[in-house]
Amino acid sequence: MVEHTPSPDRIRHSAVDDAQGIGFGVIMAALGMHILTHMGFVTGQTTGLAVLIAHLTGLPFPAVYFAVTLPFLGLAWKRLGPRFALKTLVTTAALSALVAVLPHWVEIGRIEPAVAAILFGLLFGIAALAAIRHGGSFGGLSVLWIELQDRTGFPAGHAQLLSDVVIFGLAALILPLDTLAYSFLGAAVFSLFLAVNHRRDRYVAA
Amino acid sequence: MTETGKHSLTEDAQGIAYGATMAAFGIVILTHLGLVTGQTAGLAVLISYATGWGFGPVFFAVNLPFYVIGYLRMGKVFVAKTFVAVALLSALSLWLPGQVSFAHLNPWVGAVLFGFLSGSALMALFRHGASLGGIGIVALILQDRLGWRAGLVQLGFDVILFALAFLVIDARAVLISALGALVVNLVVAINHRRDRYIAT
Repeated sequence: MVEHTPSPDRIRHSAVDDAQGIGFGVIMAALGMHILTHMGFVTGQTTGLAVLIAHLTGLPFPAVYFAVTLPFLGLAWKRLGPRFALKTLVTTAALSALVAVLPHWVEIGRIEPAVAAILFGLLFGIAALAAIRHGGSFGGLSVLWIELQDRTGFPAGHAQLLSDVVIFGLAALILPLDTLAYSFLGAAVFSLFLAVNHRRDRYVAA
Repeated sequence: MTETGKHSLTEDAQGIAYGATMAAFGIVILTHLGLVTGQTAGLAVLISYATGWGFGPVFFAVNLPFYVIGYLRMGKVFVAKTFVAVALLSALSLWLPGQVSFAHLNPWVGAVLFGFLSGSALMALFRHGASLGGIGIVALILQDRLGWRAGLVQLGFDVILFALAFLVIDARAVLISALGALVVNLVVAINHRRDRYIAT
């Protein structure tokens, strides 16, 4: 009986696999957020919401980001279970902490805005891809889109793009036009990257 | 959606573009800090420091002999994709330092960031049927011809590179470089699984 079942190792990540995957995602996301906030760009999803709130209130971005993710933990718990909710809490706490300390270690000199936008998009894209493949999440709105994709097959990348339109509409009221344009470039790179590469049929482990 | 088992040309192009861009960002960090790394890129960095020539042209030149060997061992598609990836990384590493600069960068943190950026770049390139050049191919050929373990040959090459690095950079920088190289190798060792990422 047992020898006919496929190797569980092939389709199941070990705890170490998941820890390094989510750890990688947190580090790449933190570097991306550092570039984003350094440039004063906005983006979509939870991070974009946190950037807007931090901009309007003057509160520090890492604290705002962590606070914004908290209400969605309840949803994560209800829909995806306590294990997922706890993993999300640990991930967002680690990410907020890293974003708070990273400027002390990595002080950016000068970045060409278009280059910053593309680097942000790629860093955030790979971070999200690693987190999704390893059953992690950076919290907030993304829980909704992952759930939507798993239930209906509607691609997470498309759902993100639609909600980004709303956040960018709000950002258009407060940001200068060139900052808005570069922000859009970054968000487009991120969304395209995820739409092309997030394929459950190709990355088969969970 | 495109076919499950086979990447389209566009998918490979974006995978290779991602790999070259992240690798170039990693090289900006590595060379800003004056650190070294392993494999073909490590050889190019070391030659670049010793001669004062830029990393980009040296990396491009160092890889040239390997295309012939790679063609015989790995086929023309792999060689063509590797050539594109190497050329793109060479060009980007000439251009990117003028676009991104650091006012301050902690070397240990920089080494870890370099490790993750390069590791992720290599994963994307491998999954899209490309690489960043030569030493790995030579190791595979030596394994076929002489029975030497490819992994050990690569390790041996890196040991020699890091020994030579002591002549060019100080001991503390070599130690920090070793941390970066360790992160690269761990990322690839844990994540390079053909049974998990099934498209080619």
